[in-house]
Amino acid sequence: MKKLYALLLSAVAAASLVACSSTTGTTSSSNKETDKNDKATTIKTEVKEMEKELQAVEAAVKSEDKKALTDKAAAMHKHWLEFENNVRDVYPLLYTNVEKYETPIFYESKNDAPDFSAAADNAQALKEALKDLENAKETKEKTSEVIEQAVKNYQEYVADQAGLLVDSTKAFTEAVKANDIEKSKEYYAESRVYYERIEPIAESFGELDPKIDARVNDVEDKSQWTGFHVIEQAIWEKNSLEGMDKYADQLMTDVLALQTEVAKLTLEPKPMVAGAMELLNEAATTKITGEEEAYSHIDIVDLNANVEGSKVVYQAIIPALNENDAKLADDIDDAFNKMEEILAKYKKGNGFIAYTDLKEQQIREISDQLSHLSELMSQTGKIF
Amino acid sequence: MKTDKGTAANSEAEQSNENSEKGLTRRELLKLSAVAGAGIAIGASGLGTILNVADKVEKKAAKSSAASLKEEGIAFYGKQQAGIITAQQTYCYIASFDLKTENRAEVIELLKTWTKFADLTTSGGTLKSLDNDLLPPNDTGEAADLGIANLTITVGYGSTFFEKDGKDRFSIKAKRPKYLEKIPHMAHDSLAEKYCEGDICIQVCANDQQVAFHAIRNMIRLSSGTATVKWLEEGFLRAPADKTPRNLFGFKDGTANREHETEEGYSKIVWAENGEPEWMKHGSYLGYRKIRMLLEIWDRSSLFDQEETFGRKKQSGAPYGKKHEFDAVDVSKLPADSHVRLAKKTKQQMHRRAYSYTSGMDNQTGTLDAGLLFICFTSNPAVQFLPMLRIMGKMDKLNEYTIPIGSALFACQGGLRPGEFFGQKIFEETA
Repeated sequence: MKKLYALLLSAVAAASLVACSSTTGTTSSSNKETDKNDKATTIKTEVKEMEKELQAVEAAVKSEDKKALTDKAAAMHKHWLEFENNVRDVYPLLYTNVEKYETPIFYESKNDAPDFSAAADNAQALKEALKDLENAKETKEKTSEVIEQAVKNYQEYVADQAGLLVDSTKAFTEAVKANDIEKSKEYYAESRVYYERIEPIAESFGELDPKIDARVNDVEDKSQWTGFHVIEQAIWEKNSLEGMDKYADQLMTDVLALQTEVAKLTLEPKPMVAGAMELLNEAATTKITGEEEAYSHIDIVDLNANVEGSKVVYQAIIPALNENDAKLADDIDDAFNKMEEILAKYKKGNGFIAYTDLKEQQIREISDQLSHLSELMSQTGKIF
Repeated sequence: MKTDKGTAANSEAEQSNENSEKGLTRRELLKLSAVAGAGIAIGASGLGTILNVADKVEKKAAKSSAASLKEEGIAFYGKQQAGIITAQQTYCYIASFDLKTENRAEVIELLKTWTKFADLTTSGGTLKSLDNDLLPPNDTGEAADLGIANLTITVGYGSTFFEKDGKDRFSIKAKRPKYLEKIPHMAHDSLAEKYCEGDICIQVCANDQQVAFHAIRNMIRLSSGTATVKWLEEGFLRAPADKTPRNLFGFKDGTANREHETEEGYSKIVWAENGEPEWMKHGSYLGYRKIRMLLEIWDRSSLFDQEETFGRKKQSGAPYGKKHEFDAVDVSKLPADSHVRLAKKTKQQMHRRAYSYTSGMDNQTGTLDAGLLFICFTSNPAVQFLPMLRIMGKMDKLNEYTIPIGSALFACQGGLRPGEFFGQKIFEETA
């Protein structure tokens, strides 16, 4: 996952550049990368600001100044809306406490004749709730060990899939060379599954992914086009495997090279999580549109494999997620289940029905669920 | 300057505007970059510095900037929802959502989330993010520093919200308003299901398209998992102050609104009748038609034909036989099948709030894909809206140049009290 890692590094570099230029920054952006307390720190800065806003509210309550109360309560309310989600994520119980007293103050302030004594009581209670929030300790356990284990598990999965890809590609290329179209079709679909489950890993090895998986539009010079999709076109569009031997040999070589690279790879947790996201993005862009498998139309096979690959990452990080945001883990679990239920409707034999046999509404249903799943998975960065 | 014509809402609009100082306007940003020195460009890397300088300078200038921002913003809370009789903003996004859950609690959760975001964004706030750059930012960010631009967010409910395929899906069937039905087929309709109806409608209007888009985009984002967008339309309509805007046929659209622009007029024409469920009090029905306009054919028609079609003069907007736009219409002077004559014949009034749309071109024919997002608010669509559609579908001379392709009716609830969420009354009364 060199590409991903490099991307992450450059993101960190960019963040620190900004930090350098901001000499009078109010938030600490010195090292956004690892410090788990950062979430808490950001919230605390906001809470302090809100405490000041509350003081202004209290002053207005004390002087029974209706106009000032309306203004100050509205300012505090707007600020609270801006960061309440973050509080809910990190301190769900304390969140409820603040919400309980903040809302009535805002409500009261909008009344023509506000009940100042009720507002004063709520302000007092809110003050305490904010104090608790300011002093809150993150209950989170140290997650680094849990994540380390997750990476180890995932790395084994990737190696497994690479092995299966090699076996399956071997059967595929042999069938191609034996000029057996039916067998070629069968092994083609099977090989695609193993490849699509770990595609982001392959993408991290520079040239290998395009050599194995380029579609005709991806290459500048069509004579340089190699890999699965060249043979796919021969099988389904040309209905002839003539001249495919050299592509079959090249594909086998490249897939073996991929396996060797995978064996040497040391995965990092962040690119692993980013990779899960990338798999879903792949599914949501080229697969759901039917562009990936332009001749065989087995796009749903690929899409399903992308989802499976992504789910393995999710499963690996469940312990870490549970420590950070158990609700998110539950939601993701539901979303994967629902995704699987929807896809199950289109199962046929070992695979799925052709993309071209799906109705517009059915594609939309898959796409909607995929979007929702992606939306949730994009939050898994919380474990860091 | 106040733009909201509603009366009850106004005082609140003023009050809530003072909290806008957190968002910097573009003008302020430019001013600040001048303060900070010519060397600082407003690029991604320079922004941090400017904002920090801004922090300091702004505190001093807080009072005056709050004053300058005071012109912006329409109160989100009030007796009625904003965006109905609010003076029409220049840009509109109107989206229809289908709920993907059968779970009442999930719908309530979505409506709560939407309410909070609507409250926040119509007062110029943005969602803050945690300090973790491995997470997507909470706010999409494109409206930062653009101000409020009179942003309004209006929510309405379709008939399928209350009952779908004979199923009382969220146990709120009893709260269905009297006149909320699917719009029946009208002569000349060429409706595509993908442009019609839906469970919940959100109308976003603003004087800045980017601000409006930001709002609808984030509402869509926040609905993930519970609702999906059935259709989304984008409209524009601009007129100089105090003039009636023109549609893409070049004719004035909404002249008759002038006739009911009083509190009394609104309560007769726009606000829901007594006898509706409690939650509809101070609410209204939003009637919607997506009408494709055959611009090329229209543009080849003589001025005579064009004016005969409407029954009004193109330039002045005056009805036939009269001199000025707002002169009373003398129906007998108008061509029998002219648009205005047919409209007057129904003797009904409605509050029109239409927008034009353009959507590139039709590749098959090479003609422009454009038209009108007809939006109107009525207290009783069965009397004020549907009969008009019926008559016009059959007789209107305009039909030669227009094709209705989308259609919907939504019930927009009354305004919210602070602390209340969209639909709260519907769900509480059925709890």
